[in-house]
Amino acid sequence: MTYLIFGLILVPIAAGIVNILFRKNLSGIAALLTVAASAIDLVLAISLFGKEVTVTYPWAMFGIDLSLRVYSLNSFVLLFAGIFGILIALFSVNFMKGRAALNQFYSYFLLTLGLTNGAVLSDNLIVMLFFWEALLLVLFGMIIIGNKHAWKTASKAFIIVGISDVCLLIGIALTGFAAGTFNISNISLPVTSAINQVAFVMLMLGAISKAGSMPFHSWIPDAAKDAPLPFMALVPAALEKLLGIYFLARICLDIFKLTPESWLCQLMMIIGCITIIIPVMMALVQKDYKKLLSYHAISQVGYMILGVGTGMPLGIAGGIFHMINHATYKSCLFLTGGSVEKQAGSTSLEALGGLAAKMPITFACFIVAAFSISGVPPFNGFFSKEMIYQASLDRGLFFYICAAGGSFLTAASFLKLGHAAYLGPVRAENKSVKESPLSMTAPMIVLAGICVFFGLFNKIPVGIIGHAVAPRFNLAHIEEHANIMLIAITIVVIIAALAHHYIGYRMNGSGLKAVEHIHNAPVLSNLYDRAEKRYFDPYCIWDKLINGVSYVLLGIDRLIDFVFDGLCSGLSNAFSYLIRWAHNGLYAVYIAWAVAGALFVIYYILR
Amino acid sequence: MLSLYLVVPLLMFLVLNMPPIDLMRRAAFYFVAAVGILQVIVSNCMISGCALMGKDVLDGFFNFGVQKDQLSLVVLLAIGIVIVITSLLGNATIKETRSKFKFFNLLLIALIGMNSLVMVRDVFSLYVFIEVVAVSSFIMIAMKMDEEALEGAFKYIIMSIVATMMMLFGVGLFLISCGGTHFTIIEQSVRQDPGNILSKIAMGLFMCGLFVKSGIVPFHGWLPDAYSKAPSAASVLLAGIITKVSGVYVVIRMAMMFSPEPKIGKVLMFVGALSILIGAIAALTQSDFKRMLAYSSISQVGYIILAAGCGTGLAIVGAVFHFFNHAIFKTLLFVNAASLEESTGSVDMDRMGGLAHNLPAAGITSMIGFLSTAGIPPLAGFWSKLIIIIALWQAKNYGYAVLAVLASVITLGYLLSMQRRVFFGKPKPEFKDIKKENPGIVLAEIILAVITIAGGLMFPFLMEHLFLPLAKI
Repeated sequence: MTYLIFGLILVPIAAGIVNILFRKNLSGIAALLTVAASAIDLVLAISLFGKEVTVTYPWAMFGIDLSLRVYSLNSFVLLFAGIFGILIALFSVNFMKGRAALNQFYSYFLLTLGLTNGAVLSDNLIVMLFFWEALLLVLFGMIIIGNKHAWKTASKAFIIVGISDVCLLIGIALTGFAAGTFNISNISLPVTSAINQVAFVMLMLGAISKAGSMPFHSWIPDAAKDAPLPFMALVPAALEKLLGIYFLARICLDIFKLTPESWLCQLMMIIGCITIIIPVMMALVQKDYKKLLSYHAISQVGYMILGVGTGMPLGIAGGIFHMINHATYKSCLFLTGGSVEKQAGSTSLEALGGLAAKMPITFACFIVAAFSISGVPPFNGFFSKEMIYQASLDRGLFFYICAAGGSFLTAASFLKLGHAAYLGPVRAENKSVKESPLSMTAPMIVLAGICVFFGLFNKIPVGIIGHAVAPRFNLAHIEEHANIMLIAITIVVIIAALAHHYIGYRMNGSGLKAVEHIHNAPVLSNLYDRAEKRYFDPYCIWDKLINGVSYVLLGIDRLIDFVFDGLCSGLSNAFSYLIRWAHNGLYAVYIAWAVAGALFVIYYILR
Repeated sequence: MLSLYLVVPLLMFLVLNMPPIDLMRRAAFYFVAAVGILQVIVSNCMISGCALMGKDVLDGFFNFGVQKDQLSLVVLLAIGIVIVITSLLGNATIKETRSKFKFFNLLLIALIGMNSLVMVRDVFSLYVFIEVVAVSSFIMIAMKMDEEALEGAFKYIIMSIVATMMMLFGVGLFLISCGGTHFTIIEQSVRQDPGNILSKIAMGLFMCGLFVKSGIVPFHGWLPDAYSKAPSAASVLLAGIITKVSGVYVVIRMAMMFSPEPKIGKVLMFVGALSILIGAIAALTQSDFKRMLAYSSISQVGYIILAAGCGTGLAIVGAVFHFFNHAIFKTLLFVNAASLEESTGSVDMDRMGGLAHNLPAAGITSMIGFLSTAGIPPLAGFWSKLIIIIALWQAKNYGYAVLAVLASVITLGYLLSMQRRVFFGKPKPEFKDIKKENPGIVLAEIILAVITIAGGLMFPFLMEHLFLPLAKI
């Protein structure tokens, strides 16, 4: 069993390292190796599923042991990481063909998979930090190979994620200090003292920013344009969500004894609500397939944080279920985007239209995934959202309204996307578009299949997650208290979104422009303009601020330079030349030093 | 088992000088390298505690009354490594067969001297073996027989005579005041009769003699000349191990023995700190590569002495660990210097630049060496310096601890400037078609660089098995 656990980490990483050694013309082998390693990873994850194993090896000193643990919750996460790995690897084989830096892409792909497995498996905070930080490097590499201008986005992602990783580092240090150990299984801190609260907030910031929540989100839409598409499907859509929300759940469930009444829960729920609403507003007006999806990748995190932040077993289970669901349908959506990009040559919605007839399988998968993300019953997104709705309604009406409102806007934006890309008249340049090959459609079909399966048989995943979240979690109990009212409201919201789309379509003339009236609304249009110019991007604000600060610092730096260059180096040079001058090579002088030294030593000892 | 360390080199020395002498001359390198490798293997076995076949038989035949402890074993391991490296280097740099043969003979004598000196437990025998090592190194320094080499050798002889007088005088006084020269006798006497003026003078004088041998400021006058004027193989041996064993190792040993007298520790810490500072500052403006390394050596030895003077268990661990590391990384840097001298015929740093293009192995390994010297994690040098500084801090020697940290900044400064001046930058046209690196030298560089990196990465393991047992001595 031990070997299996290490295999989950080492097989992808080793294959990734081998991949980077390949020449460009051997990229076929690299792709094959990637698929093989991902398949092995999936097999290992399946064989470990539902097991309970802990492995500990002494590593560094000071209680930092290499300790890995598999248990019900993370074996589920590992299983899904494996599924996404193999599916997206298969998709990439065809999609990435003929691109530059393929060996690097496959290498980073596998490294991401292996490191994510490592971070999920780690039972020691320091070990987890190692994997977590290594992911940052791979993230940078993944984005920078996208195109010639991608380095800007890559460094943006690197800085933003780096800052949040520093938060995590501080949080881990504080937690270790407060608990006296870094072993996650042995930590159980109350959130009453100030230091524990700071530690919690820091760990939470690290976790939610890995999941891509606001205000650490602004690199994701940029990366959607620059980075290779399978990266988007694998990392921000799937693995980072799995990792971030899984860790958030661990913080709330294991590391800290969080009570729903604590202000920390309120904070998380507020962050969740903000993260739901603002990105979905941005998603509504996007005119690019991938960029629209990337804003949704941020918005959906809000639901998960809201769910976990309720602090109630139902909400936490809902959040984790939504994490799995989101990873499934968002990967699927990104893959449909990739399929469209590969076949139609563009992802700009203005250049697309009427693809439903040309690419029926892609369209069908898109429909399933879009229904899931909008929360249409009986797809999986509906059930996880329903759990979150119920938990958030218990905590306050405001949170429920935010969540339901987010749902409305999500549905509206996907109606727009589907209408603009797949329906309507076919453009002249898209006349010869064909359906994607099997290696690209198969992963989409599987993912869409999971969406349907988890919708129809939602008791299976909810049972597994619920059992991991609270041992006494009672599935039947939820069903008894299922709020018919909430379900009715959800359906009304979806119908309202449909109606809104129809009216918008009639008013503005095309599917793409169905939400233009929101875009052009009096206050909103102003805000949208500024958002497009990135006035609200924390990174850009910081960037401008830093410019001013750096001038001041430069002045101070010059001053310090002067002191060091002039004073210190002058002094040390003078001393150095003095010593050189003293070493004049005369035997007599050297002997005199030695004798004087000896006399001094003896005088001192006898004194 | 211990007799292996003495009998094997001695036998090799005899066999090497038997007829057929022509064949032996050509085989000399292999003999010495084999002895060195054997020493590394045996030391590893002794440290890890696994038995070699025929151990008891050997011990029955030869019994010299020598002893070992963890400290001796670590030093013996370091000696073995440096001997292997030096034999590689001697084979690569000394061209003429006769002087090569001479060099390898001297190397074996020095090896016998060092091994015995590590294992004896008697002050007088200690003195004798220090002289054995010293005499063989005089000849090695002077081997080029030009004016500079002779000057370096002569300075070493003169200063060694001063040291000899001090040590012999000290041994005589021990004999009078303690009634014997064995370590246990002296230790007991120092412990039981702390006020004895004669033994105090003896301790002071013996220490001062060792200071000369290990090149501590202000007893270091001979060191820069001897290191920089010797042929490169000899300077590697001299800087890497000879002064360390015949000076620094004995200082650590004596510091442990004299620990009942607190003033000895204070003197050690003072001269150690002085050496760190003076050595580092003097190294800043040197333009001769080997001379700069010589001053750097003074400064690094200062760390070891400072820790030895501190005297706590952790400090001794740090001192011995730094001793080991210093033997490795200073040897590495001197091998780099030898590589430069071999290829460009000069060690003047002002004339060089961009040599990393011509000598890639030297460029990369010197980087590892200097980073380890300056104490950059995760290389081995970082850990030993860290332990020394922690030990100083725990013993409430805050001033010395701060000085040790600050001096490592100066260390980084001069070594960085060396690296930039010699290896980085654009390749100079005049070095366009210099000789390729000698494979023997490259091998030596790689071995040492690997040990440096491995020592850093395997630090917890080394700490547990090699160095922590030292604290119990």
